[in-house]
Amino acid sequence: MAMRELVTGGAACAVPGSSSSSNPLGALANALIGSSSKEKIKEIPTSVPTSSERHFFADNDDHLGALDRSFVESNDQGSDFLRGFRSAGQGELSAAWDDIQRSQAPLPPQGRGSQTLIPELDRIYDRASLTRPQQPILDGPPQRVLSSFLHSFVDSSRGGVPFRPIPLPILGLSEGDKQCIRDRSSIMARHFFADKSEDFINAQVNALLCSLDIDGDVRAKGPLPGRFRELEDYWNESQDSLKHGAHAADEWVAEFNQQRTEHGDADAWAHSFEQQHGAIGWASEFEQLTSVDHMRGANISNFAAMEQTRMLANTLAQNDDPKFQNSKFLQFLSKMSRGELIIDDNQVKETALPASGDWAAEYRQQYNRSSAWADEFVSHGSDQWVNEFTTEQEQHGPVDDQWVNEFSKLHVQDWAEEFGRQVGEGALEEDSADNWASAYDEYLNEQVAAKNRSDTSRGLYVFSDMNPYVGHPNPLKEGQELFRKGLLSEAVLALEAEVLKNPDIAEGWRLLGIAHAENDDDQQAIAAMMRAQEADPTNLEVLLALGVSHTNELEQAAALKYLYGWLRHHPKYGTLVSPELSDSLYYADVARLFNEAAQMSPDDADVHIVLGVLYNLSREYDKAIASFQTALKLKPHDYSLWNKLGATQANSVQSADAILAYQKALDLKPNYVRAWANMGISYANQGMYVDSICYYVRALAMNPKADNAWQYLRISLSCASRNDMLEACDSRNLDILQKEFPL
Amino acid sequence: MVESSSKQLKSDALMDQMKLHLASDAGKELTKKINLVYQINIAPKKIGFDEVAYVVDLKKGEVSKGSYEGGKPDATFSFKDEDFVKVALGKMNPQIAFMRGAMKIKGSLSAAQKFTPDIFPKPSKM
Repeated sequence: MAMRELVTGGAACAVPGSSSSSNPLGALANALIGSSSKEKIKEIPTSVPTSSERHFFADNDDHLGALDRSFVESNDQGSDFLRGFRSAGQGELSAAWDDIQRSQAPLPPQGRGSQTLIPELDRIYDRASLTRPQQPILDGPPQRVLSSFLHSFVDSSRGGVPFRPIPLPILGLSEGDKQCIRDRSSIMARHFFADKSEDFINAQVNALLCSLDIDGDVRAKGPLPGRFRELEDYWNESQDSLKHGAHAADEWVAEFNQQRTEHGDADAWAHSFEQQHGAIGWASEFEQLTSVDHMRGANISNFAAMEQTRMLANTLAQNDDPKFQNSKFLQFLSKMSRGELIIDDNQVKETALPASGDWAAEYRQQYNRSSAWADEFVSHGSDQWVNEFTTEQEQHGPVDDQWVNEFSKLHVQDWAEEFGRQVGEGALEEDSADNWASAYDEYLNEQVAAKNRSDTSRGLYVFSDMNPYVGHPNPLKEGQELFRKGLLSEAVLALEAEVLKNPDIAEGWRLLGIAHAENDDDQQAIAAMMRAQEADPTNLEVLLALGVSHTNELEQAAALKYLYGWLRHHPKYGTLVSPELSDSLYYADVARLFNEAAQMSPDDADVHIVLGVLYNLSREYDKAIASFQTALKLKPHDYSLWNKLGATQANSVQSADAILAYQKALDLKPNYVRAWANMGISYANQGMYVDSICYYVRALAMNPKADNAWQYLRISLSCASRNDMLEACDSRNLDILQKEFPL
Repeated sequence: MVESSSKQLKSDALMDQMKLHLASDAGKELTKKINLVYQINIAPKKIGFDEVAYVVDLKKGEVSKGSYEGGKPDATFSFKDEDFVKVALGKMNPQIAFMRGAMKIKGSLSAAQKFTPDIFPKPSKM
């Protein structure tokens, strides 16, 4: 494949009489990574084209059309290298190479396909190789000089050393080449120096451009006339051919336009990316240096993220406060804007800059990926790409949407400016830099936690890793016994062993769900109860428990569905239900039915309990409290009922009463984690943070997996000015916390 | 009241509780301490779409539905329903929410800095 040969310095690409660095892309690559890895680059397979590559070139004429024409037409002085590259078909390309090699022996690669350029280039070629032989980096053909020169720029960037202009021989760069270099170097510099000021970046870039005799301003920012018109046409086409994806495509176009108009760099970035989407060279180096993630649709969001963080980092970097300058937050932003950190699927991932030894492998990977991307983008036809983008968006839904949306809707720049201005005015208080910095640590922790929890949030039950009850002869009986003794976390393990053995046992799942609810873990409770309901769809206790847990999680529609299910499946009250109701539930209808049921049998505590839950759902707390009090007269020893009463009182800001009710529950069941945690909440809501801390710690000592309590504990610690204990909280060190906050 | 179960926001429950909370002693302390007006726009699915505006007036100690009519709020936040709940319950801190793009802020930054999870009362669980 010709493109690969270009990069790898394969036979068709070699220029007689010169070394391997005569290939401009390979030379540049070598220059960037040092000569030691030359061999590795050659290891890239050159003979077997992948199917995606074949598509890319075979369909070149049809699908590249819009982009290609725009490129070629609008940029008459543009790189002949690229033009020739694109105008040729698959077979023609290698034939053309052969031709050219036969007729134009010492041809510099850029000149391929352009007769007019050749004499001049020959002249430059000769002169370049003859002049300044004493300076090794400026020796050799223009492309070698160029790559050495760019290499030194990259090196100086890594060292943070100001780059000085260097006199160079005339390199014979075309306007298009110049523009490429100008655009890319401004972008790269912004990524290298995300933590430096804009002035510094401009100075660096100007030094580079000055040496190359490139005008730093002309057309550096604005699109070439015609190009974006073509691109928009292209997008419009793809939208037309894809009605159901129109919305997503709309957003993309909007985002693109916004990027174009709002952000000079992003504009240049998009534009140069567009220019290079197929050919790799600089593009892949740039990618490699910035992000090793693949260049797919969803990844646009990472560019957005990088762009946003870059701007934030820039503004924040102008704050002189050394504390702020050294903050991890700023480092984080800076890292993110350089692409060393990316947000993927809402998780922060580190993309370690590849060591030069890994370069070849990285390069190959990158190469395949970027051609795959180009393939998707162009060769398969626009609609497929848009399709992919759409489905990807649908699949990842809210997660990927976040960054993309944010970028198109949030007016990031306004924010960055606003932020910068206010920071400049000293709006941030003394400790706010620390806040931001610690947010970074917490952010990463949270990512890990979120990953561990992501299964539960999808309604899947998450089993404990180590379970001593696996292999127990009768784990259900053991679990029931442990539950009765109030050893909730132990009971959970035994019951997990049971349901692992008998996945369809409703009682095992039900009790597991109850144990989790009492252990203050509604997500796991819901997951277990869903399995219980699968096994036994009409179990009233399960339906009630699901109604309660969903009410706790503020999921009103789901809660209403299960409470209604309770009534429908009740042997006595099921007759009250009219069948047409079940499709669209209205709260008022369900409440009316339960009131009828309560009139039917006023001595049935269960009806009053469900009614109480229902009133919680509608936040009619006085009615809910009355219902629970009625039920308690019938069932005074039901600890969970006392807790329900307490929670309702607490939510209606009757905290003193709530604490009495919780105390009743705890008298009946001392290991009732939920009631302990609720105690903490009531104290915290009254502003009695130190008391709340003691209760949270007590709850956590019984169930260290109660995430809510950990979160609330953290808030109470900050509010009680006990920041000294935050570390113990974050590392979940209960020994320290229990010693510090005994109850 | 729950009118139609499908149009409910989780945030409604928290806002209702906040309303009650501001009438309590602890709520009055909070008003004294913060003394700012926040407007919070909550969208069911996507920021900017079908937003419901709430004003949490920590000067007067009131929560009301609809945009602020007493001038310009000190800070305006935009959230998705889910994300507001996460922030109000301390599951996600506001800085992180901002970094993620889950929270959009307009207005004074120092006012926004005082918007912390502890100003919202936590719901108790049945």
